[in-house]
Amino acid sequence: MNPNKMIKRRDFLATVTTALAVPYVIPSRVLAAAGKPGANERTTLGFIGVGGMGSGHLGRGLKFKELGQAEVVAVCDVDSTRLANAAKKCADAGVEVKVYADYRRLLQRKDIDAVVVSTPDHWHAVQTVHACETGKHVYVEKPSSVTVREGQDMVDAARKYRRKVQVGAQGRSGKPAYYTCRAIRNGIIGRITKVDCWHYETPYDKNPLPDCDPPPQLDWDMWLGPLRWRPYNPRYCPGTFRWLMESGGGQIRDRGAHQFSTILWCLNADRQTSFTVEATGTPPPLGLWDCPPTVDVTYTFKDPDWTLIWSQPGRKTGKTEFGQMFYGEKGRLLLEWEGARKWAEPEAIDFEPVAGGFEPYTPGLFDDFGLNHMGEWLKAIKTPDHLPNVDIEIAHRTSILCILGNLAYLLGRKLVFDGQLQRVVGDDQANRLLSTPQRHPYHL
Amino acid sequence: MTENSKFIAINEDKNMKLEELVKGIRSDKPDVRTATWQQAGTVGASAVKPLAKLCTEENLEVGRAARRGLERIVRTVGAPGIQSGKSAVVQELLTLLSDDTPIALRRDILWLLSEIGGGESVEPITALLKHHALREDARMALERIPGEASLASLRNALGSVPEAFRLNIAQSLRARGEAVDPERYPCQKLVPKK
Repeated sequence: MNPNKMIKRRDFLATVTTALAVPYVIPSRVLAAAGKPGANERTTLGFIGVGGMGSGHLGRGLKFKELGQAEVVAVCDVDSTRLANAAKKCADAGVEVKVYADYRRLLQRKDIDAVVVSTPDHWHAVQTVHACETGKHVYVEKPSSVTVREGQDMVDAARKYRRKVQVGAQGRSGKPAYYTCRAIRNGIIGRITKVDCWHYETPYDKNPLPDCDPPPQLDWDMWLGPLRWRPYNPRYCPGTFRWLMESGGGQIRDRGAHQFSTILWCLNADRQTSFTVEATGTPPPLGLWDCPPTVDVTYTFKDPDWTLIWSQPGRKTGKTEFGQMFYGEKGRLLLEWEGARKWAEPEAIDFEPVAGGFEPYTPGLFDDFGLNHMGEWLKAIKTPDHLPNVDIEIAHRTSILCILGNLAYLLGRKLVFDGQLQRVVGDDQANRLLSTPQRHPYHL
Repeated sequence: MTENSKFIAINEDKNMKLEELVKGIRSDKPDVRTATWQQAGTVGASAVKPLAKLCTEENLEVGRAARRGLERIVRTVGAPGIQSGKSAVVQELLTLLSDDTPIALRRDILWLLSEIGGGESVEPITALLKHHALREDARMALERIPGEASLASLRNALGSVPEAFRLNIAQSLRARGEAVDPERYPCQKLVPKK
């Protein structure tokens, strides 16, 4: 569908009011009140996936409603309990929403401008592509996809349908990452030769359970979606999907998607897409989850030459559970977490670039990085030539690092990734695993 | 296993014997099972059938370790330059697609074949497009196996599988870059079902 041919509610209203040109009763929510934008400036939102992160994003959506920048009109989840909780959360905020168990019904609504996708990772690409195809802008949680092919299709869909797709790696909307990026890009420690990430281990299931019937509130078939069918097991969800390669990919694809995004920003390496990757790890001794609790992954980039290391538990050089140390020719600089929730080092905050030095773009709309990141997306929707700061193409490049790290572990061999072709050089099996056939009809 | 015990890493220097592999995977000690299945790749094709048998063990963790051992074999022989080992493993996996193998295990075998199977795998997998419980996994395996043989099989299947399954085949053909008549085989991805 060509989004330019879609008649949107605001276009329709504009046409009607111009044509009538007479006094006409229009609901107050459509008209701008003093200090509050009118409907033309408010983005109408639907939320797909409203547990965990989705519930947090719904809260942010309601905040933007309060600020007069958005309307929250629909929520969707495959778990009826979570859906009811989300509807109640909206009702408590004085907002009436329509509830959906099938996201495709939500996407059919012409009055919804944009959707927030906070489903398990194996749904991200399919729902993002479908949303773009139905004319919706998308805020999708990280990691953007579980395969390289899915990520390519997300980028293609965003560009083809000219939709703004922001990915929820909020580091680039956080002040600590901004200070660190500004200091590094302006040479505080010289040219970077190595970045070393540490992170605590991926958990393993110490109490495995047999397969059983799904709970009555869960639509198991819809939860699986594009994944191959298998019986329900209580260890798949909620939340624990993260510890399976198919649906989550472990810490490297969860938090790695945050940390790598910030690192690529600090090094101006978003376009340095070719690399080699080697990985070793120790698999879980028990249970359904298959992501390795401990893992060591090394990425090697050329021209400029630098090395990126992801280790669980790794060499902890900071104060908190995870973070990264930047090593440069003139010293080293620490950044805790992904640069949003914790703090920047004082030398990064105090660093004063020389006149004309590089100034990184960061939204600066709100102190809270989560609101800042979603606000940046809403701003991009309203600004024709402005892509959000973690546009899908940037996020896809980050996801490739996460995906290839896991793939090198699974295959137990060094992989050479050609970023231009988005292929592994000379490895048929690895290339087959860059995509996963999807179950009918849940496909890209 | 205690909370503090560390995970056991593979001993790359050792080529494990089949009997050791089977014994280790049947162990009641999680650490032993895990250390053992990681070495299944060094045993290769001869371990495929014994591991497949262990996949159906009543002890879920033994079955899981055996399945992971099969994956390790496939990912070892799938490395560039191991053509003979790969062919032998593919042949062993193909024999496991027969009716005397449990359906859940045959699903796993189809996905393993999707990683390393070639033209030799197409006909046996195509035969499963007629099997109601296995046809969706068979379709997805054919979609992933590169080459003209798998593509031709999907093209032929479009006109021969039961009507209710033709839209699934059309999905695979589109994923392979084929033009499929949208009037006869409309894409269903945006059609709400629930």
